[in-house]
Amino acid sequence: MKNIARKSAALLVAVGLITTGVIAAPAHSAATCATPSGVQTVTGKLSNGAAYVMKVPAKFGGTFFFWNHGFRPSFPYPGYTPPAGVEEITPYSNNRSADVTCQMLRAGFAIASFDRVTTGLHGWNTDAGVEMLKELIDLAKAKYKTTKHVVVYGSSGGAPVVNKFMEKYPSTADSAGLMAGLTNMNANIQSACNLFYLLSIFADPTIKGCAAFGAKGVAGHMAALQELGKAAAVLTAWSQNLGAPGLEYPAALKGSGIPQRSALLLTGLLVGVPTKSAHMDGISTSAVIPEQSINATVAILENMGEALGTGTFAGQALAEVVGAGFYDNTKTDFSALLSEADAGRFNLGLSGDDAINAMLGVLALAPRVKGDPAVMAKSAAFDAITYSSTKPTILLSNEADRLVFAGNSQLYVDNARAAYEARLATWQAKYDAARTSTAKEALIPSKPKWNTMALYALTPETYTKFTAAGLPDLAGAPAVSGVGHQSFTEKQMMTWVRMLATSADTGRVPTWTGAASQLAKVPYMNTDEFYQPSLLKYNK
Amino acid sequence: MQIKLPRRTLIVGAAAVAVSSLAIASLPATAAAEPGISATEIVLGMQLPQTGAASPGYNKVDDAMRAYFDYVNSKGGVNGRKIRLEVKDDQYKAGLTITTASSLINNEKVFAMVGSIGTQTHISVIGDLNRRKIPDIFINSGYSGFYTDPKKYPYSFGGLGTYVVEAKILGKYIKENFADKKVGILYQTDDFGRNAIQGFKTAGVTFETGKTSAGFIAGTQGSVGLASQMSQLKANGVQVVIIASVASTTAVAVSTAAALGYKPDKWVVMSVGADATTFQTILGSKGVPAATSAALLTGIISASHAPAPGEDTDPYVVAFKKINDDFNKGPDKRWDNNILQGMNIAYQTTAALMGVGKDLTRAKLVAYLENNGSKISSGALVPLGYSKTTHEAFTGFWIGAYNASTVLTPITTPRVVYTTDSGTGPVTVSNYVRPAIAADALPKVG
Repeated sequence: MKNIARKSAALLVAVGLITTGVIAAPAHSAATCATPSGVQTVTGKLSNGAAYVMKVPAKFGGTFFFWNHGFRPSFPYPGYTPPAGVEEITPYSNNRSADVTCQMLRAGFAIASFDRVTTGLHGWNTDAGVEMLKELIDLAKAKYKTTKHVVVYGSSGGAPVVNKFMEKYPSTADSAGLMAGLTNMNANIQSACNLFYLLSIFADPTIKGCAAFGAKGVAGHMAALQELGKAAAVLTAWSQNLGAPGLEYPAALKGSGIPQRSALLLTGLLVGVPTKSAHMDGISTSAVIPEQSINATVAILENMGEALGTGTFAGQALAEVVGAGFYDNTKTDFSALLSEADAGRFNLGLSGDDAINAMLGVLALAPRVKGDPAVMAKSAAFDAITYSSTKPTILLSNEADRLVFAGNSQLYVDNARAAYEARLATWQAKYDAARTSTAKEALIPSKPKWNTMALYALTPETYTKFTAAGLPDLAGAPAVSGVGHQSFTEKQMMTWVRMLATSADTGRVPTWTGAASQLAKVPYMNTDEFYQPSLLKYNK
Repeated sequence: MQIKLPRRTLIVGAAAVAVSSLAIASLPATAAAEPGISATEIVLGMQLPQTGAASPGYNKVDDAMRAYFDYVNSKGGVNGRKIRLEVKDDQYKAGLTITTASSLINNEKVFAMVGSIGTQTHISVIGDLNRRKIPDIFINSGYSGFYTDPKKYPYSFGGLGTYVVEAKILGKYIKENFADKKVGILYQTDDFGRNAIQGFKTAGVTFETGKTSAGFIAGTQGSVGLASQMSQLKANGVQVVIIASVASTTAVAVSTAAALGYKPDKWVVMSVGADATTFQTILGSKGVPAATSAALLTGIISASHAPAPGEDTDPYVVAFKKINDDFNKGPDKRWDNNILQGMNIAYQTTAALMGVGKDLTRAKLVAYLENNGSKISSGALVPLGYSKTTHEAFTGFWIGAYNASTVLTPITTPRVVYTTDSGTGPVTVSNYVRPAIAADALPKVG
């Protein structure tokens, strides 16, 4: 069985790892950049043996950036070796297969990063990462005494390290950057596990999904791979027939005439998988893709493989930390996860209200997965933060990130805002209670300030290309912006970097008016102050 | 779906309150201007399918609206401001509805959205428009879910009677006139169809799934066709066929039935599915001569909240036709129901803007519609139902049959207009007396 799992899962492992940046995806060509002369490179080991690297340009302006990469599986899955050493030193774009090290050095920024591996863990070791980051910053500041400002920034699963660092060491860094950042692991993994569960209902009842995660060591990883393999088989079949055949599962819907693609679309919508993907814009049509909701269905299919891949690795890694039984859907009302807007907009792809009601009706009655309350509590508290940082924090997300959905950024903003408003209310009460004008004036400097800004890279309006036969061309270059995980253009990344540097200097995020004029010069950057991406299904 | 208020706005507000206690003297003398409003102009936005399969007929509504606004502008505008209508073509593709809404909001800086067309498309943006507190008025959709709970969509107001209201009224007619007939329905299995079934059921007209009730997935009527549905209704001996769908469905259904040799005693088609222009345009594109399509339409029962465009002596029709002749710069200004509806919406919009007065804000427009909307007159033969508890538009319909000239003609003389609500209220005869249109064809408010 293990061998079968190894064979069937090898491809999916590769697919999943593309998203982490470990394996390069087909790329847009990166612009050339001449590294400035006189860059001083320092390498070494932190106290726990992890490697670090610092690069300081001759024209160092005083702002030092410390990068935290995302989650990496710790287990040597077939076709994958956990990375060793410092693998990313600055923000890296998966689509472009390039980072911005050269550009940052040319801008006069010093840069540093470290190998975030501890005790065999390469992913969910956030607390260890926080201490390693602190040690690295202390080392850098001791060596480069002209350092005026410190920026900590990270991507994906590195975001929790940045967030927890900012809360534990509030005076060490001057600004924080979150790229494609994970805000709440538990909310994300719940959706990922729902994805497996829904596939088990509509496509392959042998899928156990997250209920199979948790055993430690090889057995656990292989069990997880086996689940991924089953899901991969489902997606592979759908990619070949575009989900045209009627549903075979659940038994109650066999012969109903509802095509499998409608269940695929419903599954994606219930999970919150983006309805745009690298190649599918959710709009364009052809003879084979006759309606926009069918385009979106293919987008979900394209996104789902990688979401499942990384969900598997992240889920198993989480289970190794918190234990088995972190997933529970006994109280999940799946019908509530389908928004009125989605039910209307994608009505044709979902095969109309009757089919929607039939599928949701079956879901309501389907056997559920029961978790372990103690483990669920641990999972809910996993890498939790209080949003107490008052330092400038700037987020950067893709509108259609297939892995860490853009709703993570909105969730961060919402929670940060709630925390800010609470601080403001507390301050206001103190201010109102102050009896003298002198006492009131003394409080003014401590008045809380809103210091969070979310940037979004959007997709072009349309970009799907079709073959002569009308099939979507999924082999070409992806959309130039707004899709993929941790995939941004050089201009987008450097705009974010420069804003972080400016904020570190001023102590404030830019005003939206000021930022908008800057963003307007960067192709596909959102300039709408009130833009809001699709919210996470578990938005808290 | 959860409506989230724009928290940034709340924060700005909260911050402003806090600041005001510290530095009142530094506050600006006047509040910041609302988007889309200047001393000389009001910018309105609209989305509709100007191109694509869903565009026939509907693509005339925006030109009619603009013609009326141009007429208003020629008379000095509203409180000294000219009205500019910015229109985006969403091709009836919801993805484009989202992007074009963003463009109207961020690039054109519209003050309000007005008259946008389509349920499946508008449902994709209605939440965001409300989150942003942008007035979204006179929506050309009869889906009651947009209007009957103003807490859900406080900034959205209807531009058509709801499908529930219309179905209840048609249902009453069917009960009273076809009690001895077997009645069936062809409906699209979405919000529209669900609304219609609800309305007919309330009126006591029920259907049997798989026999007298034939659903289809909206959007497939052209590609997949309706042969199986029409065959089902034929096989089950349905004598009165109700169509709860758009005009393209009516065209396919009627032509399919003809091809099947199925001749129901009567077709009863809900108003958005019975637009003569759209019906004939679609059949015309398939090579059906106008005379043939007119014959297919003849005798079909439908309903309307406004006078039929062919009622040449109706004062509103006369006035709007003149304005259409003089100001419509669209590619197809042939007078029809779409142009009448566009004119009427522009007239009502003008009335609302006038009613708010010089100090025009988004909040005041919404408040005005809630408090005074039911008093806004128009060419419609029933009033708007707007209040604080519902944002439903027209509260009634009259019933007519298409004649050989493709004009909907009242089935009774004099015409009887019925009124009801989107709930379980009774269908009664309306005693509404429509105010006359002024000689200058401009609304008179206050």
